[in-house]
Amino acid sequence: MPMDAITPADELHHEDDHKIGFIQRWFFSTNHKDIGTLYLIAAIIFGLVGTFLSGLIRMELAAPEIGPLTHFVLWGVEGATQAEKIEAAKHFYNTVITYHGLIMIFFMVMPALIGGFGNWFVPIMIGAPDMAFPRMNNISFWLLPAAFLLAVVSMLVPGGPSGNGFGGGWVLYPPLSSTTGHPGPSMDLLILSLHIAGISSILGAINFIVTILNMRAPGMTIHKMPLFVWAMLITAFLLVLSLPVLAGALTMLLTDRNFGTTFFDPAGGGDPIMFQHLFWFFGHPEVYIMILPAFGIVSHIVSTFSKKPVFGYLGMAYAMASIGFIGFVVWAHHMYTVGMNVDLKAYFVAATMIIAVPTGIKIFSWIATMWGGSIEFKVPMLWAIGFIFLFTVGGVTGVVLANAGVDHALHDTYYVVAHFHYVLSLGAVFALFAGWFYWYEKMFGIKYNGFLAGIQFWLMFIGANVVFFPQHFLGLQGMPRRYIDYADGFVLWNQVSSFGYLFILASLFFFFAVVIESVVRRRKADANPWGEYATTLEWTLPSPPPFHQFNELPKVK
Amino acid sequence: MRWIAVALLSLLSLPAMADGVPVDGALGFQPAASPLMEEITSFHNILLWIIIPVTIFVLALLIIVVVKYNAKANKVPSKFSHNTMIEIVWTLVPVIILLFIAFFSFRLLYLGDVFPDVDEAEVVNVKAQGNQWNWTYTYTDVIVDDYPVEFVSNPIHRGLPGEPEGTADAPRNLAVDLPMVVPVDTVVRVQTAASDVIHSFAVPAFGIKTDAVPGRLNELWFLANETGTFYGQCSELCGKDHAFMPIEIRVVTQAQYEAWLERVTGNSVEDARQYLAEITNESPVQLASVQ
Amino acid sequence: MNKNMLGASIAGVAVAMLGLAFASKPLYDTFCKVTGFGGTTQDATERPDDILDRQITVRLDANVADVPFEFRPVDRMTTLNVGATELIQFELTNTSDVPVRAMASYNVTPHKAGPYFTKLECFCYDEQVYQPGETITLPVIFFINPLIDEEPQLDDVRTITLSYTFYRADDGNESLASLGDLVSEH
Repeated sequence: MPMDAITPADELHHEDDHKIGFIQRWFFSTNHKDIGTLYLIAAIIFGLVGTFLSGLIRMELAAPEIGPLTHFVLWGVEGATQAEKIEAAKHFYNTVITYHGLIMIFFMVMPALIGGFGNWFVPIMIGAPDMAFPRMNNISFWLLPAAFLLAVVSMLVPGGPSGNGFGGGWVLYPPLSSTTGHPGPSMDLLILSLHIAGISSILGAINFIVTILNMRAPGMTIHKMPLFVWAMLITAFLLVLSLPVLAGALTMLLTDRNFGTTFFDPAGGGDPIMFQHLFWFFGHPEVYIMILPAFGIVSHIVSTFSKKPVFGYLGMAYAMASIGFIGFVVWAHHMYTVGMNVDLKAYFVAATMIIAVPTGIKIFSWIATMWGGSIEFKVPMLWAIGFIFLFTVGGVTGVVLANAGVDHALHDTYYVVAHFHYVLSLGAVFALFAGWFYWYEKMFGIKYNGFLAGIQFWLMFIGANVVFFPQHFLGLQGMPRRYIDYADGFVLWNQVSSFGYLFILASLFFFFAVVIESVVRRRKADANPWGEYATTLEWTLPSPPPFHQFNELPKVK
Repeated sequence: MRWIAVALLSLLSLPAMADGVPVDGALGFQPAASPLMEEITSFHNILLWIIIPVTIFVLALLIIVVVKYNAKANKVPSKFSHNTMIEIVWTLVPVIILLFIAFFSFRLLYLGDVFPDVDEAEVVNVKAQGNQWNWTYTYTDVIVDDYPVEFVSNPIHRGLPGEPEGTADAPRNLAVDLPMVVPVDTVVRVQTAASDVIHSFAVPAFGIKTDAVPGRLNELWFLANETGTFYGQCSELCGKDHAFMPIEIRVVTQAQYEAWLERVTGNSVEDARQYLAEITNESPVQLASVQ
Repeated sequence: MNKNMLGASIAGVAVAMLGLAFASKPLYDTFCKVTGFGGTTQDATERPDDILDRQITVRLDANVADVPFEFRPVDRMTTLNVGATELIQFELTNTSDVPVRAMASYNVTPHKAGPYFTKLECFCYDEQVYQPGETITLPVIFFINPLIDEEPQLDDVRTITLSYTFYRADDGNESLASLGDLVSEH
């Protein structure tokens, strides 16, 4: 029988099958697995857009002087001179970095880790038949393409005096994001887009919390929950607590822009710094929102392929909880240069460095899980080990940046860019691929080619390091972020960095090659390809799992 | 292989490169030109001695695990999942390391916060106002006709073809037409302000970076302990020409500073610029670094 | 708890956080006022009792943002004893030919001096209309709280800069009107 999860055909063999049409299944879907698949597909599409934007960045920065981007601006404008194109390219570059950041965070990493893997596996892992609110789940997903569409439209409508789109960075600081810097409708649309993406995430988070707290199978106590479920529970709480603050700040910005309020406008007694406080009160937990699910995924993979139980399960769970908690009280370490009382800086330095302790516990626990194991280096394990090492590199540079004294030299330089790409682009994204290849056969019921997937890993590993490691050097030498053109002292490492991007492109090519190969060949996947140490409930189900699982709730010992 | 040589040279920080200009292929900070930056550099060196070994330690553990505990080398996995002792160790040891870091970190932090104990009359006060997209420098203590001396410092390159004449040697994207000029070994108080959006005043060689926020005044201080030309760049995204509003600070001797002031207060900006060009040509060391 | 109740209460938490975000405006203002964050100055109605020997120089900084004003301090700086009350003056001229409604933002540097820089009287509390061609003198009466001497971290403060920036005071109608313009343009 041909096995392909992406067509409804495979439901024929489920005993509870009811035939539903394509539209009914994929547009009005209330099934957590289908919604999870939709999230993953959306994340791949949006991720490609974000990757294309990062390609523009590396292309422009491959050589000094403004060059490549001039070919992407002023299309159809009769007789635009080179000088005019350069002026347009400057603003265009700012919009590119802005939307690269926003798309990768809100439309790639979050939908994939939370919406995708979370929807797919949280209910299965806790032995629940579906999410608590299946229809709300559908709304959560379909708000996302709407938000993305708004974001794309906002890139194409007038932003400011210098061109279309909002070019003020993903942090959206006023007054650059208020009418002073961007009077056009672009910023308003972007605010709306983020509002909708935020509502989508909050609804999703409510769904996860209720599902996890209320729908665990008999015997699945909180302290028996798989670590990925723990991670999702903590992530969902972070979302519920932090996203409304962003929503509030964005609403104030919107009324400042359109209705004459002066929350962030010094002209009326407001303070632009207050926006930064609100933004980072959301923004710092947001970082953990992206990395905690990754922690969960990596824990499962390391345990499965080491053929050992996770080392220090409770320590792992509570390390995540404490990271989530501390994440709320460190926000101003993003703002050391705004002019802050030295005692306040000292507090934020101390609080920030404390995060290194639970993070260290996680790193060492993963290594201890592998210690004494019988490790098989299957593709997901490669990604997981890569994650552990690269996250360590990103972690130690985080300790450097936590120190306000040094941060005065490194704030807003490429050192920061290197740091957060090590924890996100090499951290969260590596975990994303780890999860993808760990669960691919389970989700879609077909096997992939491990050799091709291995090539993808090595290309990505090399590429990401070549792109981001030299950026530490640029930052130390003082190259500021968000620069379309740099001084001659920054040429070499920028060239190296852009060269590395080619490896990432090649790795993406292999990613799609793996997917296409597997779809074309349609090798039927086993229920559990990883062996007895893949202990979570999804491996007790066939691959792909039936449309409705656990009609009889499993009992957990 | 040229870049390897350049990188090595920059690590050694030869005197000829002491000016505050980024060096291609360099791996670390720009050479410190202020006591504060010296402190930052040495603290960062301490941090390197911690973070590099930590990273190597984790890498070594991973390599040991990969070599010793792969499925071929170790067919039967062990079963343990707890070891209270080791868990206490890997909680406490990082705490101790962090306390060690914090000690030096707070020392540096509070050091930078204390304004040096010098006579107020010897302090040079400059206000740096960020605009889209240049800096306005005001010498608040130098008064001409009831108003302090003030000039706009414009970049002389904007990445455009057709650069102005006579500036071919100046570092691209860093040089300005009228730099801020300050005397060497003197405490300079810089107050930052902004006229439109947020900017950030930064000079890597002095280890300073402070945001210029509309509607509020910020303050920083530095003390340059060698003469030369020191470049910085706006460090908070401020719109289209964010990359093209550099900061150039000329640190000169007290005598040269006074001579320059005389020309500026004579209200001849061009004259002052000429003077700066002359003293640049007298100093071969600086010229070498510019080229 | 059944799932609807639980879901509703979590939604309630989200709504509460949203409310908190808006409440942050007064909270933040209070926080700045209390801690002097960002160099926010203090207000008082009474003079302090004791005057110390310690002297502090106060420099004055005058800016205009988007109003057609000439605005400068009458004296650029003054030196006073901690605890002593001082009157300083700024001079403002509306150089345009229309009345301008304006208001000033203000702070002191170094920011850590904010909690101790105390104003008894200031022109900066309210919006005012400045008539065309009119030159007026704007007074500030202030003192530096003697408590500054008890805080070792402020031992290095020998100079404080008091800064004002004048902004045009829009009323809501004006910006609604400009929104209307924007809509009709497109």
